[in-house]
Amino acid sequence: MARRIGSRNVSGIAARGSRWGHARVRGLLVAGAIASLGALTGVVVLGAGISSAAVATAARTENLRESGKLHVTGRPNGVKLNEQGSASGTISGTIYIHLNLSSQTRVSAEVNIYPSGGSLSGYGSASYRVEGADAVFSGTLSITRGTGKYAHARARGLRFSGSIKRVNDATTVAVSGPLSY
Amino acid sequence: MPKPRILTALTAALALSACLAAPPAGAAETAELQTSFTPDLLGANTTIGFGFHIANTNGGSPAPLDSVSLHLPPGINYITTTLGLAICQPATLLAQGIGGCSPNSRLGFGEAYVEVPFGQGSGHEIPDIQALMGPPHNGNIVVLFYANGQSPVSAQLVFQGELVAGSSTFGGSLNTAIPLIPSVPGGPPVSVVSIHSTIGPSHLIYYKYAHGKKVAFHPRGVGVPSSCPRGGFPFTADFGFTDGTTAIANSTVPCPPRRRR
Repeated sequence: MARRIGSRNVSGIAARGSRWGHARVRGLLVAGAIASLGALTGVVVLGAGISSAAVATAARTENLRESGKLHVTGRPNGVKLNEQGSASGTISGTIYIHLNLSSQTRVSAEVNIYPSGGSLSGYGSASYRVEGADAVFSGTLSITRGTGKYAHARARGLRFSGSIKRVNDATTVAVSGPLSY
Repeated sequence: MPKPRILTALTAALALSACLAAPPAGAAETAELQTSFTPDLLGANTTIGFGFHIANTNGGSPAPLDSVSLHLPPGINYITTTLGLAICQPATLLAQGIGGCSPNSRLGFGEAYVEVPFGQGSGHEIPDIQALMGPPHNGNIVVLFYANGQSPVSAQLVFQGELVAGSSTFGGSLNTAIPLIPSVPGGPPVSVVSIHSTIGPSHLIYYKYAHGKKVAFHPRGVGVPSSCPRGGFPFTADFGFTDGTTAIANSTVPCPPRRRR
């Protein structure tokens, strides 16, 4: 609409046939072009702004500091413990851990956390040792997939530690490090 | 002529003293090992029984024992046991005896047979052995052995074994250093002839608090694999003696019947 009005004005001025008029026409043309370019640029900049915001959302990174308290579910199957409990910290929700004692000194873990609006899943590996009433483990955890709000969740080398009360297999776990989602 | 006679006499005297000081040629320590599972079931939590007997091929007392390493069969799982829920400090054990440590630190028990040299002869002593959970070392479980002898010499002794994980999935070895045990202050050391002990919940009672009440329970034992290797579960023990000699003994727990589900 603005371009049509502009064109009509330019045509009207040009019809007068004056020198000054030619100069004005050129000036208006340049101004119009700048204005059009400005308008276009504005749109582009605005678009770029939206695009940047979207990318920033996708690459959101938080320093995860999670702790969980879990109890064993079902009957312990020798070297496999299924644990359920609650996680609190940066993300709160229900947490499930499947612990597998792969040797006398190593434990592997599959971890699933269900906060509101999505879920996070990952795998951990840790050294393991018995210290009287507790068995303690310490190693690293990777977040490999997520759903919902955490669909793009990824993390590697998160610190993963905890302890298991040997008398009843109750477990406490701590996870920390940067999480992108 | 006198010179050769002196030399001959000296040589004879040296040979005689050498015979008296050194063990007879070919004399060596021999060892036998016995092992058991109670209960004897695949996939069960069990008590391991182990014992060894040491002899000398010349029929005399064996040289004092320096170290014993008991190698567990692959697949034996001591990680999921609830034995040793408390830790006993060696100094407390030595100062206060078995009563100074929590019942939840007990791992097993047994007895030893020890030859005690007295003058020209020797007697014997049968001390009780208690196995307890000690403070971990290098991340490994430590087993304290408390030997309590009453007669003919009243002596209490603590020695430590370290449970080192095996290279296979499970298994491992219990490596125990035996200190020199003097018969009397400044006297010759005693010789351990045999030890029998258990590691497991058999005849042990632990305590826990549930809903504010102290409740007795039997701890979970050592895990036996759900399948048995051909020929049974092999145990091996390496023995080291203070005279520098070594001995190896093997024992196998036969494949037990499959556990009913």
